[in-house]
Amino acid sequence: MKDFKILEIKQNVFDDNNRQADELREQLKKEKTFLLNLMSSPGSGKTTTLTRTIQALKDEFRIGIMEADIDSDVDAKTIAETGVKVIQLHTGGMCHLDADMTKQGLEGLGTQEIDLAILENVGNLVCPAEFDTGAIKNAMILSVPEGDDKPLKYPLMFSIVDVLLINKIDVLEYFDFDLEACKERVKKLNPNVKIIAISARTGEGLEEWADWLRTTVKEWKEKED
Amino acid sequence: MHELSVLFEIVKQVELVAKKNEVEHIETLILQIGELSSMIPHYMKKLYPAAIEGTILADSRLEIEVIPANGLCKDCRQVFNLIKEKGTCPTCQSKSFELLSGKEFMIKEILCS
Repeated sequence: MKDFKILEIKQNVFDDNNRQADELREQLKKEKTFLLNLMSSPGSGKTTTLTRTIQALKDEFRIGIMEADIDSDVDAKTIAETGVKVIQLHTGGMCHLDADMTKQGLEGLGTQEIDLAILENVGNLVCPAEFDTGAIKNAMILSVPEGDDKPLKYPLMFSIVDVLLINKIDVLEYFDFDLEACKERVKKLNPNVKIIAISARTGEGLEEWADWLRTTVKEWKEKED
Repeated sequence: MHELSVLFEIVKQVELVAKKNEVEHIETLILQIGELSSMIPHYMKKLYPAAIEGTILADSRLEIEVIPANGLCKDCRQVFNLIKEKGTCPTCQSKSFELLSGKEFMIKEILCS
């Protein structure tokens, strides 16, 4: 029998990525670029919400968008029409972005000229929750047609986000979606989360969302000054 | 394909450790996965050969130690399995517990030469 030795590693699987994410946050502090990581399932209205957000804030901040997709650049084209800087990141089959890929994306975007960078993560409620991208804040969109039971099915995602947008509330009457029950479920997992009900189509609630983002970015920048 | 991405991450970390310790060949990789972590051992095993291809872990075996989801009842101090008992203490029916284990997701060790 061959002689094998045991090499003890005892390392959390996410340690390496967490370290890179912390380094990226340090770097963002120095460059004064606020990074928001936006997550959701496919079809929740991420790109529409993002387009509206850009329109509301583009006069105040220099915005840069990173579109993460497994393939295609459909979303990047839509965002490019708003006139802000956008780059497409292809994850090449991977279901999420990690801190290293995010860092490369930010380099491509050129953070020196950006105050607010938004990462549109891959549409998926599982993997992006596991990998810290190095973002300053994490946001998530849940849309009404997906159902009010999603916090029960994807608890990790709902427990790591700083802000939750409940989108498509203009169609609330056509679905069995209990907004209050949903909010309660989320609060139970994550008592400090900010929840804003919006409709990216009609514009309802978007002012509150833009206000939240504006205040959060400004407070972060002031804290670092 | 959640497990596959995570496996790539694991391979990356083991490669770092192997390099540092001048390991030439890895026979077995041992992971610890808690019952409450979002990893499914079955898929990990199934995807393992694809994730290790062309890496230092090529041809190695994957062993998974499952860590039970244990809770300590805050009312009667009984230790019980949260999944089996559905989060309710079997002795006093309390739903209030302190999580003892089950969320682990660790690279435990490698057998190597």
